[in-house]
Formats: sequence, structure tokens, C-alpha cells
Amino acid sequence: MSTIKEYLSSDHRRCDEIFATMEEKASKSLEDAKESCEEFIAQSERHFQMEEKVMFVEFETKTGMTQGPTQMMRQEHTQMRALMKDMLGALEDGNKDKFFGFSETLMILMQQHNMKEEQMLYTMAQQHLSADSDRIVAMMDSIIVE
Amino acid sequence: MDFNGLSIDQAPPISALSRFFLTAPLFGILAGFLIFFSDSATLMNRYSTDSIVITHAITIGFLAFIMLGAMTQMLPVLAGAKMPKVELVTKYSYMLLMIGSISMLIGLSLSNTVFNIIAFIGLGSGFLMILTATAISLRSVVNFNATVKAIATSVVFAFFVVLMGLYLLYSYIINDITSSHIIVANIHSVWAIFGFAVILIIGVAFQVLPMFYVAPKFKQFCKRRVVWLISIGLVLWLFLSAFYEEYTLIAKFWIAIFIWAFATTVWLKLSRRRRPVSDVTVWYWRSASIFLTLGSFLWIFDEYFKHEYIVMVAILIGGGFILSIMIGMIYKIIPFLVWFHLNAKGYMSIPTMNEMINKNLGKLQFILFIFSLIGFIFAFYIPQLLQISAISFIISMIVLEYNIIAPMLIYRKILKTKPDFDMSTLS
Repeated sequence: MSTIKEYLSSDHRRCDEIFATMEEKASKSLEDAKESCEEFIAQSERHFQMEEKVMFVEFETKTGMTQGPTQMMRQEHTQMRALMKDMLGALEDGNKDKFFGFSETLMILMQQHNMKEEQMLYTMAQQHLSADSDRIVAMMDSIIVE
Repeated sequence: MDFNGLSIDQAPPISALSRFFLTAPLFGILAGFLIFFSDSATLMNRYSTDSIVITHAITIGFLAFIMLGAMTQMLPVLAGAKMPKVELVTKYSYMLLMIGSISMLIGLSLSNTVFNIIAFIGLGSGFLMILTATAISLRSVVNFNATVKAIATSVVFAFFVVLMGLYLLYSYIINDITSSHIIVANIHSVWAIFGFAVILIIGVAFQVLPMFYVAPKFKQFCKRRVVWLISIGLVLWLFLSAFYEEYTLIAKFWIAIFIWAFATTVWLKLSRRRRPVSDVTVWYWRSASIFLTLGSFLWIFDEYFKHEYIVMVAILIGGGFILSIMIGMIYKIIPFLVWFHLNAKGYMSIPTMNEMINKNLGKLQFILFIFSLIGFIFAFYIPQLLQISAISFIISMIVLEYNIIAPMLIYRKILKTKPDFDMSTLS
């Protein structure tokens, strides 16, 4: 089974691929991109919840840090959720400029967020939670998104 | 586990970077005017005072300012390391570097010892302060990946480049230009370009291209070896320049071949990127890889022509590659940071990144910049091209300055007018 770091990092790449497909379709027609956009938002939400409801909680319980990096990451999730909502709104309004404005901002926010997680938080999580790694990955894998 | 220095948090204050970014194009404008009032025959000699002054207006005033400013933001994101007392370090190192750079340009131009002494103190303390802070921050890194290794390597080279630069400046102060001066100048310039700038860019590219453009990842061999291979070439360059100058071609060839491989890789990765967006930053990456390829080959070729083309090599690699990447980076970093800091402060109605810099002005700046570089190169054969190219360069730098100021004004305006502050972000 993959480690926590491998599992979540590869999920980042999977979301990136859906994001790229969405932009590719949107560059031709916004109509065609709606399905990909909704899929991207759903998959990103799943990723956020895997972290917020499973990994972050395990990490906080183990280290006792509730106001540290996990708190910052939650804050950035909130920023991303708002941008995703705006992006979907622009898509539904048929406003291409706005859509790509939001998608570009979201992309950079998302990537710097992913870099911080992969460089720092996942590495630390793997160090602290290695004994429970399989269980945590299994829990994340079977999450039911609310 | 020790969590001190944990830095997976919000970016450092925007001022840590903006002061460097807002100043850099001003040095570019200054360099443009110095080129305008010079002539191509003087500039073809790399050891002429004009060449040295213009080179340092660009390399210190523009490139080092952008690289060091960007480092304050990149360290937390790419390395998970935060610069200690970032506000203080950037404020004082900026002031010292400003005083040092301007004094050096005046001191060398007028052969004025007092200005050269001020430059020695200002540049020495300014560079050592910010490089030491960077080195300290790198000690807290938990995951030493290829990008962090490249950043650390470039910082080591930067230390030596600064020390060699100070030695060279000291020679001017005591007015004692010995034969070792030329050797040190050779090592100083090659290590500054390849050891500090190119290695730093390579490290950043490992992360930025796959993530921001959804381009294919760099191969493990490239990520693990290329920085070391170039570093070995640079150490070989040092050794051969100092003891066996007639064999420096070996080191040149060694460095150039890996640099060229990197340039080609960048081009291929961008061609296979998943994101369809083709903005000015992609144009800059593309043009940079072309200029780097041409520059690497001309650097080898130059060996057979008694270094007649060395200034052209500097234009291709220093201007065409390093400067291009730096400008491309500015166009991504500044709008994002303005958005990020405003959003984190709780403001909701913020223009998107694409709305902060006028796209057409970005494109105009790119065209003027590339035109000026090509003009500078051909000015070696058609001297009349120098002035028109210098004008194009100056205008491109003025437009760049405007393109940096515009998002900063949006930032200040929103902070001042507080259009729709969302209190819930504070809860």
C-alpha cells in the first residue's frame, strides 16, 4: 500500500489532470467544460475532506498541534473552495475571461498549497504516523464525501 | 519533534519582496541609458569600464534583486523553510545593497575610491546578510528534495561569487590590478551566471513547470544529477582557469552540454504541458530556452575566436535566459501575492490574477525586450542598432515597472478603501 505522502501526492496530480482537462475544454467551449469543472470541484472536495477529516485529525492527535500547519492548510482550503465556487459561477454565466481569471488564480493558489503540503506537512505526517500509515490510507480511500 | 521555525504558514509580508521587485526595473532603465550613451566598440570589450558598470547594473541591480526578493517567498513554499526575521533582513539588506550598487556604479565609472569603499561595505554586508539568513533557513528543511538541493547549491556559489566580487572591488580601491584579477574575474562571472543564477533557475523549474503548467515531471536522472554535474564543471572551471588556462575549454564544454540539455528539456516539457494557457510567462520560458541554447554553443564557439564573442554570450545567457526567466516569474508572483495577501486579510472582491496586469502591456513589454536583445546582438555588426535597441530596452523596463506598480496600487487601494471586508475570516 502507498504511504500517506505517496497517496495524497498522487491525488494532487490526479486533480491537476482533471483541472487541465477542464481548462482544455473551456478554451474551446465553456459549455463543454461544465462536466469537468464539476468533477474537478467534487474530486478536490474529496481530497480536502480526506485531509481535514482523517489525516489532519490523526496528525493533530499524535503531535498535539492543532493551531499549526494543519490550521493554515484548512484556511487555504477555504480560500480554494471560494475560488472554485466563483469559477463555476463564471462558467455558468458564460464569462470566459472571468472563468480563466479564476482558474489561473486557483491554479497558483492550489499549487503553492500542494508544494507546502508535499514538502513539509506530508513528510512530517509520514514520520509521525508511519506505524498507522496503512490504516490512515485505507480510511482516506473509503471516505464518504459530505 | 522540534517544531520551531515551522513555516507551512502564510507567505512573508508582501513588502519583503515588493521593495526588491519595484527597484529592479529602475536599474534596468539605468542600464538602458548607460548603453544608449556608450558605443558598440567599447561594449565589445568585456573589461571596459562601461561594460563592467552596465553588467553590474543588470546583474546586481536587476537579477540579484529579483532573485533575492523571490527567495523570501520561494523558501516557505518550495523548501518549507522560513527566513529568520524576514522583515528586518530584507529591509536592511535592501538598503545596503541599494547603497552598495549605486556607489559601485558611480565608483567604477568615475574611478572614485570613496564610492568604491562605500560599495565594498554596502554590497559585502548586504549580500552576506541576506545569504546568511537564507542559509540559516535552509537548515530547518525537513525534506531535502532536488529543488532544495539546487537552492542550497546556488547559495553556496553565491557566497563565493560575492567574496570574489569583493576581492575585485578591493583591487580597484587599492588600485592594484594584478594578473590574478583577470583570473578571479573569469571565475566570478562564470560562477555568478551558472553557479548562482542558472542552478537556482534549474531547481525552481523542477517544481514550477510540472505544477504551474501541468507539464511532465523532470526525469529522476535530471533531478538528481544535473545540478551536481554542472557544479563539477564549475569547480573544474575554477581549477583550470587558475592553473591550466589553455584547457578551460574542457570545463566550458562540460558545463555547456548540460546547460543545453536543460534548455532542450524545458522546451520539450512546455510542448507537452497539459494546460492550454499560453500567456507571456510561457513565452518567456520558451524564449529563455532558445537563448540559453544559442548562448551555450556560442560560449564554446567563442573559444576559437579569441573571446571575441564573449559579450554576445553574456547577452544571450544573462539577458536572454536569466533576465527572461526573472521577468516571467515577476508576472506570476506579483499578481498572485497581491491576491493571496488581500484574500488572507479577509477581502472578497479582489480582481483575479489575470485582471491585475494588462495582458497587452505584458505582451508589449515582452516584444520590446526581445527586440532589444536581438538588436544588442546585431549591434556588433551594425553599430547603429545599439541606440535604437537601448531605447527599446528602456521602454520595456518602464512598461515592466508599470506592470509591477499596477497590482501594488490595487493592493494599496483595497487596503485603504476596504470594499467588502469579511469578518468571518477572523473567527
